Amino acid sequence: MRKKAIQALNEKARAIERLADGEQPTAQALTDRKVPQGCTTIFDTGWETNPRPTYPVGNCQASARDFHGCVGDCWWPAQMPDGLTNHREFDEQCPNVARDWRNLKYD
Amino acid sequence: MRIVLAALALLAAAHALPAAAGDRFYYLGYGVVQVVDGDADTIVADIPIKGAVREVDVTPDRKFMYVAANRRHVHKVDLATNRVVASIDLASDGWERFMFGFALAADGTSAYGAMMSRRADKGEAIVGRPVVAQFDLATGKILRSVEVPWGVAHLVAVRGGAQLYAFGQALYTIDTTQPELAVVATRPLAGRGMNILPFWDYTFDNGGVASMNYYTATHMGLLIVDQKSGAIDDLPLRGDPVMAYSVVLAPDRKLAYAVMDELTVIDLARKTYARSVPVAEGTSYGVNVSSDGRKVYVAGGGSTLTVYDARTLKPLKVLQMASDGMDLRRLPK
Repeated sequence: MRKKAIQALNEKARAIERLADGEQPTAQALTDRKVPQGCTTIFDTGWETNPRPTYPVGNCQASARDFHGCVGDCWWPAQMPDGLTNHREFDEQCPNVARDWRNLKYD
Repeated sequence: MRIVLAALALLAAAHALPAAAGDRFYYLGYGVVQVVDGDADTIVADIPIKGAVREVDVTPDRKFMYVAANRRHVHKVDLATNRVVASIDLASDGWERFMFGFALAADGTSAYGAMMSRRADKGEAIVGRPVVAQFDLATGKILRSVEVPWGVAHLVAVRGGAQLYAFGQALYTIDTTQPELAVVATRPLAGRGMNILPFWDYTFDNGGVASMNYYTATHMGLLIVDQKSGAIDDLPLRGDPVMAYSVVLAPDRKLAYAVMDELTVIDLARKTYARSVPVAEGTSYGVNVSSDGRKVYVAGGGSTLTVYDARTLKPLKVLQMASDGMDLRRLPK
């Protein structure tokens, strides 16, 4: 019998295991995909890594100029408001990030 | 004699002035589309729009522009009055739909969209299969659809609308002439190591030619799609790749301009880069060129529109726009 990587050591942990009895996998690791993706599920590119050796180095300059592009299509949803589901009116709240950033209201 | 000399002087003066290209640019913003007169390079109209504009297409008579926003709304804009005259939401029958890729159909009453969908059923999320769908522009009702692989993000109508090119991890050719839409050919992109973000193609700006850049592990290339014939030219570019979101063709098709953090001139005949200058305002998504080829316009990303002299690449003017933006499109006045 294959040894489990994680074992329940107390009653509470065993109770949690019993809750999961018979469950099948319901999630898929993003790394299983051939290309990375955000919640937008479009063809991701990695443009922003921008690996040039000289100026401008790194990501979009300034990052505010790429904010709406990412929000609206739900790129980087952990770092930015998700414009497809949870923050659909973000463009009304903050149409110009450099000017209106004080109006940002998202968790 | 004096009259003749005066007439010659007037003629010479007129010749020395730059010809008016007669362009009108449409800045695709957030909650607004702004109209820029390409001769004076000034904002001449604001068109209030609900949502974050992503894609547009124009009717063959150039009277109406359809504006796709927030990946779910489509607004019809009367270009004579610069007003939204109709709007639809693609959600229906309990399904939410998100559209990445939009192209008008040849019938004038419908359009195609690459769509993902979802709905909730007793608290469970149901995710629909990705499709390319034809929908009614007046109601948003889905007329027919064909399932496509995950990842389609852009559509280009070719051969008079008889076919659609759907760009994703591969290029899928969709036949629209039969009662049912059908994928009739697949040309690998990711399978050939090509990575593409095909949100900008400038098809009507380029006179019926879509221009998109892609990257491999070693180079940047251009996909040039002729709408009339459906022919696709693949131009791998020599030299260290520049970083670019979008590429537009110069009117003479000898040059192209690419933009991201820099504005780059591409020599199409030599298939290499001619020159780059940093964009002082910062990262930009969209690039366009005047119809006489004398001025290059860089906009989107942030809220600026910069006008460059196409020959020297020196900035001539910076317009502060009402909002951040996605792109800048050009039509004749």
